[in-house]
Amino acid sequence: MRQDAQTFSGFGLGLRREHYADFLAGAAPVDFVEVISENFMVDGGRPLAVLEQVRAHYPVILHGVSMSIGSADGLRQDYLARLRALADRIEPLWVSDHLCWTRTSAHNSHDLLPLPYTQEALNVVCDNIDRAQNALGRTMLFENPSSYLTFPEDEMAEWEFIAAMARRTGCALLLDVNNVYVSSRNHGFDADAYIAALPHDRVRQVHLAGHTPGEIVIDTHDRAVCDEVWALYGRTMTVLGPVATMIERDGDIPPLPELLAELDLARSLAGKAGVAVAA
Amino acid sequence: MLASQQTAFMARVLDEDAQLPAGWSARHAAGLAVYRNNYRTALVEAMRATYERTARWVGEEAFARAAAHHLILHPPSGWTLDVIGDGFAATLADLFAHDPEVPELAALEWAMHCAFTAADVVPLDGAGFAAATAGFSDEHWQAMRIALVPGTALVPARHNLVALWQALASETFEAPDYALAEPTVLLVWREGLDPVFRPLDAADAIALAAVLRGASFGDLCAELVERFGEAAGIERAGALLGQWIGDGLVAGVSC
Repeated sequence: MRQDAQTFSGFGLGLRREHYADFLAGAAPVDFVEVISENFMVDGGRPLAVLEQVRAHYPVILHGVSMSIGSADGLRQDYLARLRALADRIEPLWVSDHLCWTRTSAHNSHDLLPLPYTQEALNVVCDNIDRAQNALGRTMLFENPSSYLTFPEDEMAEWEFIAAMARRTGCALLLDVNNVYVSSRNHGFDADAYIAALPHDRVRQVHLAGHTPGEIVIDTHDRAVCDEVWALYGRTMTVLGPVATMIERDGDIPPLPELLAELDLARSLAGKAGVAVAA
Repeated sequence: MLASQQTAFMARVLDEDAQLPAGWSARHAAGLAVYRNNYRTALVEAMRATYERTARWVGEEAFARAAAHHLILHPPSGWTLDVIGDGFAATLADLFAHDPEVPELAALEWAMHCAFTAADVVPLDGAGFAAATAGFSDEHWQAMRIALVPGTALVPARHNLVALWQALASETFEAPDYALAEPTVLLVWREGLDPVFRPLDAADAIALAAVLRGASFGDLCAELVERFGEAAGIERAGALLGQWIGDGLVAGVSC
């Protein structure tokens, strides 16, 4: 079944090994499943067999962490070819990655490193997005990152950078509400003003997750979504309208019913915000 | 400008003692510390996922130190986390010079890890092999090369890795007797979706090593004849070929 990527809205979870049995049987009551693309960009074996079986039951979103769209030395052709092959095989609802960089020509940090928000970086990111979207033959979604430092060289705010990026490349946006909250705490900006300044018509999906509080708030995905992020999500949905919502959990993974209960809360808040939610 | 900024930032993430740029505040330093910690923690965790049994055998702290050492020697350059553990057995051979079973166990885990995501092929069964070789002349048999299923590897061992592997399957384990009278070789391959291994006898090890380095069936027979004599060598070659087909090891043959 093909989904309309322009209008799809629904509530989903990440595919984690602890919950494989439910998703393989199609028994988890979710509208879509999101997977980390790189975990399935392999030659063969069980990962691809599992993903194909899950895909038979649910729309799948390929969410990457290694495209390194902000790398000054461009994108890796072998990476794009692998991702294209996976997308052709799985026919995902969307292919997404992060507004960040992960590598230089010599090293790969496998972490989502921060970009300086400069005109030069914007040019690099836009050129790379053009190349990625051409290589994949589809519009991609890019996610706003959590960050732990800003650069003295910054020439614009993150939301201005993202709005310009979407305008120039035609890419869509994955709005991580928890990341907005984390970065707002770390850098002292107004999270609602950040979200208000984004091009709402480009947002296709929202991420929610837990974080670790502290002097620097860290995006750890290892606990439940906190009250402040739920409140920000509720306010966000009043301006976004119907988009897909997904809860990320990567550490201290609880039993599936616990995550489904969080997803029910997201449904409830989206409904209160005036978004039509399927029963 | 951006390229040099990224090179400098990466160097500061990789090297905890690297100096900060002029104009950076304590707040910047604290932020960089988060990235440094994320880098080290995520990569050591990925190494632990690949080398679960090795970590259990040496203990979590010793494993984390060894993994961090390996990542300093070999910082990742590829886009996939799957390959960051490449060469870890050699790193462990240096770090655990007095515990040689440690690098052997790691080598076995690495081979199993590689087999897990190796390309899918349908191996030849007996009928498929018969069809593929129907009409072969003696010259064809001599020249025949055997392609093994992707992910097939040989792991030499001087210790009883079978006993170690089984004991380390659970988090609470009792150290088994892992001495071995004679060195052996373990064969790793994938059976369906599951990586598996088994110890080889001397003839099997010689023959599979020959196949993996691309030797013809004729050369393989010659090696077995030299080791076991004319009749026994030829007989062993035929029996081994039958066993490999039965194990689902043979992906195809060519002349």
